[in-house]
Amino acid sequence: MIPHLLSFLTFHPLVGSVVIALLPNSQKEAFKWIAVFFCACQVVVSAVVYYFFSTQTADFQMVEKADWITLSMGSLGTVSIDFILGVDGISLPLIMLSSVVMMVGVFSSFSIAKREKAYYSLYLLLTTSIMGCFLALDFFLFFLFFEFMLLPMYFLIGLWGGPRREYASIKFFLYTLVGSLLILIVMIGLYISVIDPYESELAKTMVHTFDLRLMTDGRNYLPDSILTPSGEITLLGVPSRMLAFWLLFIGFAIKLPIVPLHTWLPDAHVEAPTPVSVVLAGVLLKIGGYGLLRIAYPIFPDAAAEYAFTLAILGVISIVYGGFNALAQNDLKKMIAYSSVSHMGFVVLGIASLTAEGLNGAVYQMVSHGILSSLLFLLVGVLYDRTHNRLIDNYRGLISYMPLYTIITGITFFASLGLPGFSGFIGELFTLMGGFQSDRLPVWLTALGTLGIILAAAYFLWTFQRMFFGKPWAKNPTELPFLSDLNRLEKWMLIPLVLMSFALGIFPGWLFSLSDKTVSHLLKIFE
Amino acid sequence: MLPIVLLSILGLVVLFLGFQKSKNLLLPATLLVLAIVLVANFLHWNDMPSLYFKNMLFENKFTMAFSGIVIFSAFLIVALTRGFVDDESAQPAEYYTLMLFSLVGAVMMIGFENLIMLFVGIEILSVSMFILTGSDKKNLRSNEAALKYFLMGAFATGIMLFGMALLYGATGSFNLTAIKGYVMANNAPSAMLYVGLLMLLIGMLFKVSAAPFHFWTPDVYDGAPTIFTTYMSTIVKTAGFAAIYRLLSGSFSGIYSFWWMTLAVITVLTLLAGNITAVYQTSFKRMMAYSSISHAGYLLLSLTALTNQSQSAIVFYSLAYSIATISAFGVLMLVAKETGVHSYENAERFEAFNGLGKKNPLLAFVLTVSMLSLAGIPLTAGFWGKFFVFSSAADRGLTWMLVIAILMSTVGIYYYFKAIIAAYMREGELSAIKVSPFYRLILIATTIITLVFGLMPDFLKGLV
Repeated sequence: MIPHLLSFLTFHPLVGSVVIALLPNSQKEAFKWIAVFFCACQVVVSAVVYYFFSTQTADFQMVEKADWITLSMGSLGTVSIDFILGVDGISLPLIMLSSVVMMVGVFSSFSIAKREKAYYSLYLLLTTSIMGCFLALDFFLFFLFFEFMLLPMYFLIGLWGGPRREYASIKFFLYTLVGSLLILIVMIGLYISVIDPYESELAKTMVHTFDLRLMTDGRNYLPDSILTPSGEITLLGVPSRMLAFWLLFIGFAIKLPIVPLHTWLPDAHVEAPTPVSVVLAGVLLKIGGYGLLRIAYPIFPDAAAEYAFTLAILGVISIVYGGFNALAQNDLKKMIAYSSVSHMGFVVLGIASLTAEGLNGAVYQMVSHGILSSLLFLLVGVLYDRTHNRLIDNYRGLISYMPLYTIITGITFFASLGLPGFSGFIGELFTLMGGFQSDRLPVWLTALGTLGIILAAAYFLWTFQRMFFGKPWAKNPTELPFLSDLNRLEKWMLIPLVLMSFALGIFPGWLFSLSDKTVSHLLKIFE
Repeated sequence: MLPIVLLSILGLVVLFLGFQKSKNLLLPATLLVLAIVLVANFLHWNDMPSLYFKNMLFENKFTMAFSGIVIFSAFLIVALTRGFVDDESAQPAEYYTLMLFSLVGAVMMIGFENLIMLFVGIEILSVSMFILTGSDKKNLRSNEAALKYFLMGAFATGIMLFGMALLYGATGSFNLTAIKGYVMANNAPSAMLYVGLLMLLIGMLFKVSAAPFHFWTPDVYDGAPTIFTTYMSTIVKTAGFAAIYRLLSGSFSGIYSFWWMTLAVITVLTLLAGNITAVYQTSFKRMMAYSSISHAGYLLLSLTALTNQSQSAIVFYSLAYSIATISAFGVLMLVAKETGVHSYENAERFEAFNGLGKKNPLLAFVLTVSMLSLAGIPLTAGFWGKFFVFSSAADRGLTWMLVIAILMSTVGIYYYFKAIIAAYMREGELSAIKVSPFYRLILIATTIITLVFGLMPDFLKGLV
């Protein structure tokens, strides 16, 4: 065991960010390679975390704990905010996913040609806050990373984005911020309600805590506090615990995103530069699903069980609505953005089912979608870099100009629409299996969810047919000479991701073995 | 006691220094005075709470913390005046003396035990501010602002004085403790007491620009020279809130059920009026005026809750707000002077910041941190200010007000970000602005304070 491994994993990109910020503006090449170095380092460290991770236990592992802020709040007792990091079967797959996606994102960033210094500095800052989000076990620390993620993302879209970047970036910012403020309300409610039994004993006063592990245990709640598990307290006529659960759910659903809170996503994707789209779809959306699994469900299992049906309906609406919208898009990036909405709907369906298959499937689907959506956005980026145009109607018969590009796009499309043998299939299969098996959800609802797979087949295949088959043609013929096949860098970005999706599709048991213990431990509270 | 005596005497000394031909000595002398007063203020930090000046003024950790914030803010603001060297018609000696005298008023407002002292304190502060608001003599808007402020202020003072008289009629005393004794002893106080309290509150809420008594604020803040706008929006506000807190917690906590609804309505109105109107402003300075109204709303939220936490919550909030406001105006003054050369109308609009990030990375960073702190983004002092205020409201169970406050702070992010957007995402022809080393030092210091309190709020919170 290496001490402080998780702190190192979280904070070393911050060092890179500062180093880049301090270097003179002229060192354009150096910025790139420093960022590459730190992201590569992160891949290595997350591999080391995987090496030391034991799949035999559901407990948090490699836990680091340090006192951070201790505030005396008069009659409210003491508030203690701790710096706690730890990893379990739900966060480990997402950590590995994000280190890989961030690495690929750096290579894709090589096409950024203005203000490189600020770009790479913010990019590494974003890396730190993402890692922190997945590793934090203190609600306050989680919230801090969650909120802090917005700033670099806001600038990355707003400074390096497309023509409507300002609108898209402020929309992204405000949507997510409203979500995080809802989470903040619940956080304040929880800290008033939960005390740390050991420290209270030591300090002889009530020590309030943000420790997520303590919040999951009903015995740590003050008996007459606002979120007490007996659930007698009501606010505005609704039991306060139900209200708190919904606030948390909306907060994370905006991030996921769930229809009807998804409208920021297509705008953000369309305006964001390729690497930022990759990070947004590949990693940031997962934090919504992760938040549900880490915070909303373990802390409010009563509400989660009661509203399982409603949540599943929201998930299925996202699947179907996202699918239909994707079918109607002409902008390739928008099409993929809506397909993301549809695919993340499966995650909600899986989580709502409250079965081992569903929850494992949800974690799996998040990882799989992380890889596949990164691939999809990278592929759009390839076309956009060459022609600065990505409307589906503008191209036909691209296969004659870009054969390798066509092959990889084909594989990715098929993997995304759920072809057996690739990761997308397993994720969708398990979430749907969970839905069918769950005694909380009616069969017709999950059956409706399968429509998403059919829709995915429709929009992916139709797009593929329109763009790549037929006689070579472009609406603007001057673009044709620029349509060269993949260069070496692009191959290096795309092929490993395709292989990863393939490997996960062939050996899904590897990922399930990581998450299984934690998921079954989580499900115990629902029995 | 010591700060009041020192400020009065040394204020006179500064005034006499102005008779010299050379004005170079004034700025360092004033800064020295403020530094001495700041140290003197904290000399008795560990003493027991005490009454002095014939039991008319009061001193404990809370009043010392507040006086400390006020004096420290004044120090920063005076440091940003650069001695008024670039303004020929300015009379620095008079300005500095008025600023020092107004601090006497502020310290009296913070530490009053007798309503007479409150009145005298408010008047000393207000009269100084009337003059300073109109100090840009040749500017019509500055004159208009001063007149407006004076007329409205006079009305408010009248109402407040009437309220005090009614309170005296009801309770037979001006003393906070005696009034408290009367309120506690009488289960059903007379209507005169209620009316008196309301009128007194109206007068004081006017001074801190709470809605619906806020209409003077944008015009006055906009018309006054920016340096005195900074002074008004930090020091007057901080002292005003300390005074309202002392009044409510010192005398009227016993009849909480009577006044809380009134204050709650005013709080909500202030939050709505401040935040929503701020969205539509095109001038940065006017936006800051409305933002100061909205911050008055958050502070009022904590006063409405009036729990044990409220005290430290408003101390922290006032400090975070003052520091961030000072650095924002500090940047604005530099930029407005630079842009003012090309076009006078644009000097204080959001457009003035266009392209700031490219040539002046330091100024853009200072502006960004202060905007983030005002917006309440984590890792800045402003976040913790909001956190403490919100948790005091949650403690009292004011859920519906909390929801409004949280929604309004989202609105706030929108207009604070307009400045950041202008600084980083718009193209502009701003050239590199020359910043004197001392000015730069002050801006860096305010930024560091904001960030340090954002990382380690317990550092300050533990003190009070």
